[in-house]
Amino acid sequence: MTTNPNNITVNVDCVSKRFGDFTAVKDLTLAVRAGRIFGLLGPNGAGKSTSIRMIVNITAPDSGSIELFGQKINSRIQDRIGYLPEERGLYKSMKVGEQLRFFAQLKNVTGKDALQRIDTWLDRLKLSEWKQKKTRDLSKGMQQKIQFISAVLHDPDLVILDEPFSGLDPLNVELLKDVVLNLKRAGKTVIFSTHAMDIAERICDDICLINRSQKVLDGSIREVKKSFGRNSIAVRVEGTSNGNLAASRLVSNIEHHSDEMEVLLAANADPQEFLRELIASGAVVTKFEMIEPSLHDIFIEKVSETQ
Amino acid sequence: MTKLLAVIKREWTQRVRARMFIITTVMLPLAMILFAIAPALVLRIDSGNPMRIVVVDGTGKLLPRLKTSLNGDDAASDPEANVATRANSIASGRSSDFIFEQLQTAGRSEDDIKAELESRLRAKEIDAYLILPPDLMQSSKAQFFRRNTSDLISTRKIRDALDGALRTQRLVEARVDPRTIDQLDRSVDFETTRISGAGRERDAGGAFALVFLVGFVMYISILLYGQIVLGAVIEEKETRIAEVLFSSVRPFTLMTGKLLGVSLVALTQLAIWAIAFAGFALYGVSVLNSRGIPTRLPSIPFLFYVYFVVFFLVGYFVYATMYALLGSIVTTAQEGGQAAMPIIMLLVISFYLFLPVSRNPDSAVSFWLSMIPFFAPTSMLVRIVTQTPPFWQIVLSLLISLSTVAALTWLTAKIYRVGMLMYGKRASISEVVRWVRT
Repeated sequence: MTTNPNNITVNVDCVSKRFGDFTAVKDLTLAVRAGRIFGLLGPNGAGKSTSIRMIVNITAPDSGSIELFGQKINSRIQDRIGYLPEERGLYKSMKVGEQLRFFAQLKNVTGKDALQRIDTWLDRLKLSEWKQKKTRDLSKGMQQKIQFISAVLHDPDLVILDEPFSGLDPLNVELLKDVVLNLKRAGKTVIFSTHAMDIAERICDDICLINRSQKVLDGSIREVKKSFGRNSIAVRVEGTSNGNLAASRLVSNIEHHSDEMEVLLAANADPQEFLRELIASGAVVTKFEMIEPSLHDIFIEKVSETQ
Repeated sequence: MTKLLAVIKREWTQRVRARMFIITTVMLPLAMILFAIAPALVLRIDSGNPMRIVVVDGTGKLLPRLKTSLNGDDAASDPEANVATRANSIASGRSSDFIFEQLQTAGRSEDDIKAELESRLRAKEIDAYLILPPDLMQSSKAQFFRRNTSDLISTRKIRDALDGALRTQRLVEARVDPRTIDQLDRSVDFETTRISGAGRERDAGGAFALVFLVGFVMYISILLYGQIVLGAVIEEKETRIAEVLFSSVRPFTLMTGKLLGVSLVALTQLAIWAIAFAGFALYGVSVLNSRGIPTRLPSIPFLFYVYFVVFFLVGYFVYATMYALLGSIVTTAQEGGQAAMPIIMLLVISFYLFLPVSRNPDSAVSFWLSMIPFFAPTSMLVRIVTQTPPFWQIVLSLLISLSTVAALTWLTAKIYRVGMLMYGKRASISEVVRWVRT
């Protein structure tokens, strides 16, 4: 990964954290580039939340260092960060509006400015009518959205979201996804953790996959997928026998689906050559598509590899 | 500063607006008034119908005095009736609690009379009879018979009245001037004067009573609000808001804000009560004065009031921070309530220290007690009103207590911050020690 140090919003350098005998995070190194969406992926218990907690300075690492905006964390930097923790919590008996105003004040946003922002955000997340309601009257999904607002209300340059989509219905997932993409468009840096690979695939620019406290791979989605190119092709053909295909020296494996097959080419085999071979064999090719590995596949493969 | 104020404001508004706050603010004084008045009311109800007493007055002189003293029916015209009796009869709204009937003996034998009265007693025509033998003035022996001997109060009233009547009669027979008798009956007006380095000051008793009151209020408010402080500290742990807060505020700021916020709630409530109480006291004094009962509030030097407030606040905060510390260790309010026992013990001890310290305010023990933060507020206040110690001792005691408050708050913030990330598990002592070190 080529990076300009000025463009790095978060730099985590060889960070470890232990709880007693248990190592939660081991030698984690990662760099989050400014203005991009960074996905921290991994199975449950991989160390995602612990890593995030260290980035927002809720727990301190045992070793290694973390820099935000090129500095060690301090109270001024804290005001530039918005954080949605995995543990959701709001003051149940406070009204939604009051609650958001309180959280805004904790980030040094006060007065009219705060009120205006609260209204804008409530509107954007379709919660305006709930402003005067007590928090305990809201559904879980709504509370989660309120908490999301409290994380972005002060217009932070860096937004860190721990499992922001878990527990939301598909409509709200879409809504929140758009909001996150808008944050990026506004030049903000977003870090979020998830184990929902489909969402990560759609909105992440860069990812870091961790498993069992350790980084498994990282980089931009494009790079990761490219390095994972398994050289397999979805093929639908008429007029040739499977035997012919399997006999080809270019093919290492064939997997049959209902009306098409997935052909895994041999190492270093050229797909173009395979196509020519197919046509030469007299087959009518109705589908020939390079299969990109999905993040889901990569996740499964990598995680089971290190298991 | 914005953040600290935000925390304080939230704690304050959330609690003051709560229904519980309004209810306790109104109900506690009402409950106290009820407790003060109820016993008197209950006794009045019990007295029911006036007591019918037959008196066999062998002396022929005592009955009128007895009547006057017990019923006060001639009170307005009788110079001997004292103010208390008059006030009593006004309060009772009835001219007589007792109905007397004089039985003429006319040479009948004592046994004969007793037999007759006893049968009337059994027939419930009368409630009691009193025999005053002719030689009562010398022998001082009277006999009282009644159906219900468990009514100790009226028995005692009658005895006291008879006592008084007998004494007055003896004085009259000794040809003592009635005005002298009146003077003899006056009880002593005991005025204590305190002599200190600063000179003579009157009425240390009033000040001492007020210290006691301050101590009591401190005790009650710590019991009431200690739990609330505990709850406030645990609140974010239970609702899991702490993590968001810690990404925005320093734990010390948060803890300080919480302590101050809850304490302002306490002070708000106490101020409401204090104003109500002061108003009530002033009104009461003016009413009593207008009814001709001279009363006045104890006069206490202004400086004492300053000390009361200062030591009350310091004492309150010492205990409040201890509750906060406890809250930072435990995970639920219930658990905290059980673990609060040692704090309450300290509080009770400090309250009872009133007695030894007031007896020997200048002793070495008193000095050291007033330097220990948990005991300083009460013992130092007692020392100040009884025998004001040198100013440096007062300042030193305050400084020690304030440092304790600051240290406890710091410790609380530290433990709270690490502890809150370990949900659902009560910390062991060794863990707490480790948290503080990190």
